[in-house]
Amino acid sequence: MIARVPLAISLAVFVALAALPWLAGDYWTGQFTRSLLYGLLALSLALVWGRGGMLCLGQGMFFGTGGYVMALLTMGKLGPGLADAWLALIVAAASAAALAAIVGVFVFWGASISGPYFAIVTLAIAVVLEQSIRSNYGLGGDNGLVGVPPLPLGTSAFDATPPYLLVLVVVAAAYFTLDATLSRRIGLVLDALRVNPNRLAYLGYSLFAWRVATFAAGGALAGLAGALFVAVDGFASPTLIGFGLSAEALIWVALGGRTVLMAALLGALAVRHGEALLAAWLGDWWLLALGSVFVLVAVAAPAGLLAAPLLWLGARVRR
Amino acid sequence: MALLELRDVHRDFGGVRAVDGVSMTLDAGALHALVGPNGCGKSTLFNLVTGAIAPTSGSISLRGIEIGGQPPHRIARLGVACKFQVASVFDELTVEQNLSVAAHSSADADRELARTGLARLRHSVAGMLSHGQRQWLELAMVLARRPALLLLDEPTAGMTAAETAATVDLIRTVAADGNLAVWVIEHDVGFLEKLSCPVTVMARGRVVRTGTMAEIRSDPHVQKIYFGAE
Repeated sequence: MIARVPLAISLAVFVALAALPWLAGDYWTGQFTRSLLYGLLALSLALVWGRGGMLCLGQGMFFGTGGYVMALLTMGKLGPGLADAWLALIVAAASAAALAAIVGVFVFWGASISGPYFAIVTLAIAVVLEQSIRSNYGLGGDNGLVGVPPLPLGTSAFDATPPYLLVLVVVAAAYFTLDATLSRRIGLVLDALRVNPNRLAYLGYSLFAWRVATFAAGGALAGLAGALFVAVDGFASPTLIGFGLSAEALIWVALGGRTVLMAALLGALAVRHGEALLAAWLGDWWLLALGSVFVLVAVAAPAGLLAAPLLWLGARVRR
Repeated sequence: MALLELRDVHRDFGGVRAVDGVSMTLDAGALHALVGPNGCGKSTLFNLVTGAIAPTSGSISLRGIEIGGQPPHRIARLGVACKFQVASVFDELTVEQNLSVAAHSSADADRELARTGLARLRHSVAGMLSHGQRQWLELAMVLARRPALLLLDEPTAGMTAAETAATVDLIRTVAADGNLAVWVIEHDVGFLEKLSCPVTVMARGRVVRTGTMAEIRSDPHVQKIYFGAE
């Protein structure tokens, strides 16, 4: 049975996050702005992999696509008339969704590539895209695009709180919309798609349509996250689009819990900040430690480390 | 017009001809069984009708619409439902959630939960059910779609005697309402006699004989190829 984290707990998490700028100062607020956007990327992977059963090893390609489209538009490289940041956010998310739909049609058409083959194909596409951008000087090559304008919030560029709160509102809106959508029949169909796609097809569901639509929705979320990320960071780098970030997202979602949205989101926050602690303690060995934890969790706790505590807490709250 | 019509259907796997020129019809509301020794082409014929595989040649039509070679979801939407030999359900979902995915409406889901006696297990996770309960859950799911044609591949495989008897009653009940044609593959002769419906015998990919169970039993050719008599 697929369980949900109750609304009260989800609200409590976002209220706690909203208090962060007044508790932690500008440095940590800036760090958490980026982490929340990685959390949105984790949500997109939780939708595609955790619920839809499509293990995508290249989810970063949609994050990076959103980022590069945002950078190109707001830097005026595609014409000054298209430089509006809010319009660019929408175009960036739509572009990432379109790329996901194209990749989805390519892999799911006909015999349909699934399972490990799907994972390998998405990994290959992400690597090819990253290399293509690195060798494209119009996109800044290895250096990326520097000087992406910040979001026009009408506040000081040195004040980390307004962009943090904006990002928090966007992530919360995405989370609650996704959670509400997946609590309906559509969520059950996605779970059925992951658990037994063959049965679903014989009940009259087009696996192709459901997979492409889910993949495109995941692409849109990742693209929106990437667009906001480059606006916050001021920089679109080829590392946003390739295997490195995609693999990190996989680790956040797996460690948190891939079938529970809040667990995936908190997994991203926990691992991002846990990495910093590990690096401080272990120096260059931190990556080995993180990899070891990932392997341990994959073998001993495939549902993730945060899903079970969240659901236990949820059951207590419901009583 | 027949509900299902197969005309000169062939299916080859490499050099092996699994289905060899089968022609037969099934009327709306009919209850019909398909028997034959292992490897005779029964399951291949079912797979051709459900869209799991495409015919090499020949025509398969449902209410006059060609369905041969169509994908399974499209054939299912036209009104064909199938229950697999090994129960195929959504193990991580509850019984009620399985029905929610399958049914067009909650009324259809509730009707089949009541009819199959699974209502008391509606909150149980499907993966935790017994073998017989899983078979019934799958049956409830396909019936909840209100199909025009129901294909059952050995629906009582692994069931206890009591579960088998209850399944016979259920199949006869759903077939009796006149809107649903039921086509059953089964090896259990006792089960087929209880169903007391027309039977088609297949051997080596071909239809050998169609008749009542008594006629089939008394046919020397069928006895030789199916019952092993000399």
